Amino acid sequence: MFNEKKLYDDVSELVFRSVTGISADVKMLMEKALKKETNPTAVSMIKAMLENVEMAKEETKPVCQSPGYPTVYITCGEKSLFSDIKEMFKKAICEGTERGLLRPSMVHPLTRENSGNNSGEGVPNFEIDCVPGQEYLEMIISFKGCGAELGNAMQIMTTAKLGKDLVGLKKFILETVINAGGKPCPPFAVGVGIGGQMDVACKLSRKAVSTRRWDDKNPNPLYGALEEELLEKINELGLGAAGTGGDTVALAVKINGVATHTAIAPVAINFHCWVARRAGIRLYPDGKKEIIF
Amino acid sequence: MSEKILSVPLKEEDIRELKAGDVVYLKGSIYTSRDMGHLNIKDKLEKGEELPESFQGSAIFHAGPVVLKKGDAWELVVIGPTTSIRMEPYAEMVGKLGVKAIVGKGGMAEETLTACGKYGYVYLQAAPGCAVKLARGIEKIEDVHWLELGIPEAMWDLKAKKFGPLVVGMDTHDNSIYKELKEKALDKITDWYKS
Repeated sequence: MFNEKKLYDDVSELVFRSVTGISADVKMLMEKALKKETNPTAVSMIKAMLENVEMAKEETKPVCQSPGYPTVYITCGEKSLFSDIKEMFKKAICEGTERGLLRPSMVHPLTRENSGNNSGEGVPNFEIDCVPGQEYLEMIISFKGCGAELGNAMQIMTTAKLGKDLVGLKKFILETVINAGGKPCPPFAVGVGIGGQMDVACKLSRKAVSTRRWDDKNPNPLYGALEEELLEKINELGLGAAGTGGDTVALAVKINGVATHTAIAPVAINFHCWVARRAGIRLYPDGKKEIIF
Repeated sequence: MSEKILSVPLKEEDIRELKAGDVVYLKGSIYTSRDMGHLNIKDKLEKGEELPESFQGSAIFHAGPVVLKKGDAWELVVIGPTTSIRMEPYAEMVGKLGVKAIVGKGGMAEETLTACGKYGYVYLQAAPGCAVKLARGIEKIEDVHWLELGIPEAMWDLKAKKFGPLVVGMDTHDNSIYKELKEKALDKITDWYKS
């Protein structure tokens, strides 16, 4: 049986771990990017970023001043969802704010009034998936920066707009990257959600960059080939780390797709800054704990 | 590529000497200001009300810190740049106030580039997401205004010992690294997908 008392400690630890470091796969990709970088400004930028990660660890401080916006991805079985899990995350985020790990950044969308402790209606956002028969409880928290959001784009494309050999789709993604430039804190990851309707594509685009390892291989060969082709082309644009020129503006392209209606091809493009603040675990009924990030 | 330490208040002639790509550090007073701060300045100017600080020769940092209150004093935990493009509508206002340097990330657009030349200010790019490292260049928090706007949006008066490195992203001679890179990148797309 799950130990509900210990669950809050796990939730609190997820929040702490995610904001004081970046996920290991992303750090490894940054180190690889630094090795092959030829632009001196970009070299100094990536070095500063990696140094900053070490400093945050040494001083137990948040890697970035902005906590971004939190989304929690939960996958559970019928016996592994706890009624108060949402409250636990809300509490852990407020506690982290009091400790100086998270800047109070949540405001009313119109009055812009700051709640002062990162509480707020709908904060954090939850994406809960129930898989019948699944024994474990999986929780991934992702704090995604909001400067990155300013580069995002969504289009309901059509068969004609996708174009021959998907040239229309590729141009849409590349132009979106150019317009975003340095705004999403490059080297970033580009999440692409394709299919469903507007809401589905947008959620997929965030999930792709928040829950997949940035160095994974897409099991779908069509999406996998597109990810590789686009990553190469995006980096050939020369925008570089921080958007001040260089060889690596993107560390990854992650495409998640589902079926859609024959009339439309919804495409959402979602940037994730290099500060990949996320942490995830799987908890088993026998007490076993598996770390995802 | 030169590397300089600039002291606040900044002198226009020193600022006009800078070229896009130069690396600089700032020393002295730096004011944070972002969306609500800029809006507040605009409102006060329109109403003819006094501003809490003089912006003549100043440096504005597009940022909101993580801070903790220890007794009566504010302690800086970390601070780094926010995305500057949101403050593009205030390009003229900032120039008229006498601001000589803007620190942020991601660059700004055409109105700012024009104002940089007209009023003599530069845009400086800080390393994005490097809040612990950048905070090490700040000695202390001197003061805070407009705390009612919330911690990120308040105007923090920071005392910098050696704040940076900062890359001149936009200079007073109509050069913008961002604009140049964007044009080159768009040409590449046109070239790749010629039909």
